[in-house]
This record gives sequence, C-alpha cells and structure tokens, in this order.
Amino acid sequence: MTEPMIRLDRLTKRFPRQAIPAVEDLSLDVPEGEIVILVGPSGCGKTTTMKMVNRIIEPTSGRIELQGEDVTDANPDQLRRRIGYVIQQIGLFPHLTISDNVATVPRMLKWPSGRIDARVDEMLELVGLDPSLFRDRYPKQLSGGQRQRVGVARALAADPPVMLMDEPFGAIDPITRERLQNEFLRLQEEIRKTIVFVTHDIDEAIKMGDRIAILRDRAQIAQYDTPEQILSSPADGFVEDFIGSGASLKRLNLVRARDYHLSEWPTADSDGDRGEMLADLRRAGKGALLLLDAQRRPIRWLRARDLQRADEPLDRIGLEVRAVVSRQATLADALNEMLESRIGSTVVVDGRGAYLGTIDIDIIMAAVDTMRHSAREASLAELGDEHDRQDTGA
Amino acid sequence: MDFFTYLGGNYNDLLEQTLEHALIVLVSVAIGSVIGLALGVLTYRRPRQRTLVLSVTGVFLTIPSLALFSVMVSILGLGTQPVIIALTMYSLLPIVRNTVTGLLGVDQAVVESAQGMGMGRWQRLRRIELPLAWPVILTGIRVSTMVLVGIAAIGAIVNGGGLGQDIFAALARVGSPAALNLALGAFFAIILLGAVLDALFLLLSRATTSRGIR
Repeated sequence: MTEPMIRLDRLTKRFPRQAIPAVEDLSLDVPEGEIVILVGPSGCGKTTTMKMVNRIIEPTSGRIELQGEDVTDANPDQLRRRIGYVIQQIGLFPHLTISDNVATVPRMLKWPSGRIDARVDEMLELVGLDPSLFRDRYPKQLSGGQRQRVGVARALAADPPVMLMDEPFGAIDPITRERLQNEFLRLQEEIRKTIVFVTHDIDEAIKMGDRIAILRDRAQIAQYDTPEQILSSPADGFVEDFIGSGASLKRLNLVRARDYHLSEWPTADSDGDRGEMLADLRRAGKGALLLLDAQRRPIRWLRARDLQRADEPLDRIGLEVRAVVSRQATLADALNEMLESRIGSTVVVDGRGAYLGTIDIDIIMAAVDTMRHSAREASLAELGDEHDRQDTGA
Repeated sequence: MDFFTYLGGNYNDLLEQTLEHALIVLVSVAIGSVIGLALGVLTYRRPRQRTLVLSVTGVFLTIPSLALFSVMVSILGLGTQPVIIALTMYSLLPIVRNTVTGLLGVDQAVVESAQGMGMGRWQRLRRIELPLAWPVILTGIRVSTMVLVGIAAIGAIVNGGGLGQDIFAALARVGSPAALNLALGAFFAIILLGAVLDALFLLLSRATTSRGIR
C-alpha cells in the first residue's frame, strides 16, 4: 500500500477525572482519496478519535501523521487550515453572509481577493447553490439542507486534502438527508478527498464508506474493512450485532441505480395525441404511461381511464410522479421510494432531472439474488477445501 | 413666574447643563465599557474569577451615591473627576454581566467550527464571539447609561456639574416659587436626555448589529 494520507499511531486519550480512557492505543491508516467511516455505538470514542486528527482534542499519547508528516506537535491552527471540518450542527457563522462564511479559510490564508471571490462562486456551484442567489444571504435565510451544503462548501474552500465530517447529515430530515448523501457521493467522485466520517448509523456507513472502521468501547477496532466484506463476513459477534438483521437488504445500499440496466417504461410527450397514447398504453401492457415535459422530465403517470377524460389538460390528469431518484441513488433508496409509489416503479433521472429509465421490483429481486449468490461463493471460497461442501441450492 | 416663562428665560443655561450632564455620563460609560468589556472577556470562561468580578461590581452598585461621591472627594478633591470615577464604578455591573452572558450565549457549535477552521483564540473572539455577543453587550452599555443619567445628578454636590446643579439650587430654596421651576427644569431635562440617549443606542444597535442576527 502507498503512504496513507492519515496515519494514527497508537493514539490514546484520557480525559481528566475519568478512569477509563476514551480512546486507547488506536492505530488506523486512512488511504488517500477514500471515505473512511468511524462507526460505533454512542460513547465508543469515534468522535474523540476524529477530533484528535485536527487536534480539537489533544491526544494524551501517540502520534498523528498527515501526508507522512508528523503533526502531533505542529501548530494546531496551521494544521486545521489544511483540514476541512464539518460538524453535525454545521456551525455556520450567523452574522456573516454565505460568501463570507465560505471565504473564511481562504481569507486566513491571505489569498488575493479576486481569487477568493471566484473560489466562493465555484464552491457554491459545486454544492448546487446558485451563487447569485445565495452569496449575500445570511444562514438564517437558508433551509437545513442548504446550510449543510454551505457547510461542505466552506470546508472545501481552501481545497484541503483531508476532510473531517462529524455526523454531517445527522440533523437533517430523512428525505433531504438521502438526497444530500447522494449529492455528496457524486461530489466526492470529482474531488477525491480523503475523508474521515463519523456516524452512529450503520446504514449510512455502508452507503457512504469506501472503508468502515467499526469501533467498540475505547475506540477499539472491531473490524476495519470494505462495506462488502463487513456485510458478507463480519469479524465477530459484536460486528454482527452492530450490522443488525437484514444484511442482504443492507447490501442494497451498496449498489447504485447507475450500475444497473434500467427498465424501459412507455413514455409520452406532453404535446402528444391522446388516442395514440391510449394505443401505446394498450400495446405496452403496463398500468400507466409516463408523461414527460419538453425537457424530458417526468411529470405525470397517465392511466387508461385518465386518458379517456378530455376535460382537463394532460399535466392535470393522472397521478403525480412521486418516486424519483437520481443515478447516484442506491437500490435501497429506489426500493424505499417504490414502496410509496402507487405504480410500483421508481423513476430514475439524470442530474438535470431528465428521464433515464425505471427500477421495478424485478430488478431489485435480481440484485438481491446476485448479491446473495456472490456472498455465498465468497464464504464458500473462504471455507476452502477443508470443508468440501456442496451447494445443493433450492 | 410660571414654568414656561422660566424656561424661555433660562433655556441656554439649561441646555448647557444638559450637555455637560450628557458629557459626564458618556465619558463615564465609555471608560466603564472598556473596563467592563475587558473584565468580561477575561473572566467569562473562568467561573471563579467571573463570580468574583460580578460580586465586586455588584457591591459597587449598592453603595449609596452620596457616600461614594464623598469618599471620592476626600481622595481627589472637588470637581468632575471624582464624579466620573464614581459613575464608572456604577456602570460596570450591567456591562460586565451582559458581556459574560453574551459571550456564554454564543452557540458552541459555531465556536467549534471556527476553531476547526484554524482560527486562533483571539481571532475567534474578535471575529466570531464578540460580534455575536454584541447586541447583548450593547444592551448592557445602554442600561448603564440610563442608570448613570439619574445618578450623575447627585454629582453636582461635589461640584461635578450637570443638571444636578439646578436640583441642589432648588433644594436650597425650598418654598420659593423659583425652587419649583428650577427642579422641574432639571427634572424634564433629565428625562429628555435619557430618552434621547436611549434612542441613540437603538440606532447604534441597528447600525452595528449584523443583519444575520437581527
């Protein structure tokens, strides 16, 4: 393995007046460009561990290396300007505008002001906020999801190689959280930062992590591995319990819509003829047509009986399209949406919201089968020759 | 002589005393703000020192003003100087208390994210904590100012100047018609001065508080 971006070497943290150390003798390498998740029950020391990386909490003993350099005794303020930091409450500065918030670290690094202005706009665009709309607003004028994005933009502004994220999506409603998670993964494909990410939610860990460190008391590593490995071969009972039941359902968090061949659904254009649509619908043998607008964005589900009504325009009849996910969404997201949809299919759209295809229950079942099969293969291969077991199948 | 005739004749004197009164109050509040802010900033994270400072400045406020002025005069002699020192002492408690309350009220997540971005202790204080605590601190300064407008009148007894001069003149002539006019003139001037200063503080607060926390 090449040099890790972050190396924690036998870190220990004892808080004053506490008998048991919060973190004891922890060694962990974080490879460059990966999202490493620290996950574990509350009080396991995961946040303490993360905060020792930028020395918000000073370790009692042990060493911290960043890009091969020992930073255990470096100037903490200089160190922190090289490390992005996003906490659960986000902690935007309420008295400063969004652009001043994002410009914080570049200003401390004394960038020229033209470069700072350009960087602020670039960062806001990167997280999907229109700079001309948001630059001069104050945090209180933003929704929770928008604040979270500004928090990420602010952490990325000085282009630090490393980001620390402490339950960054923890305080956000489930629907927005899912969208932000997907956006963040798309973003990470571009920026390729080394990220240490703390969560208590194993599902989030499986979804977001390239690697997961499952921690138990005193930040002892129960298992440090890829999500696939942790799900298919948990190291011990603790990990098994922590993953919880339904490991094969959780594997749906590992695969994304874009990795699958989507189903084609019969579609109709909003300026089409109703008679032809009805004929198309009969030919397709589905319950409804998917009506697209001029930008090919899904707008309505049109059933046969909707099409037979001539009294209302097309975009007012039929059912609203509720179950829509992006290409980055996992099959678990798609399944979630599907369960709420009356049509039984989730529509997949691209970044601009245009229709790509659909995911139905057959795709999900096939994915579960494939994963179960490959997990079984893997564990059989591990068991090896000593147990010469035959897979009798069903 | 009725009050309005009196007012017409003594308008200039009254205005001069009012301005003098305002000056004494504002100088004292300014000194008190510098000292009070410094004490608040130095002690807000240290519970024991904080309690000590708040108790001592609290005790200042309980000393009767006449007594404090007398003590000051025996040290410094007659004049404006002892009055300003005594008034400064009275101004401290609201300013220190509001500085501490304001700074402790800043969201810890905001402070931590500032720290996490590499702001040092002083930068954090200057750029994050003080601006966020500012409306509360300014309220403390405003309360002190209002308290001092009243107490400053007593300062005239040690030749401190201000609207107290007319009040003591009135006291010396109790029973004469001039006494009532003198007292009423000072009375209304003090109320008016208080109202004007209060309005100025509201404007100052609007002008110096970020739109993001208003």
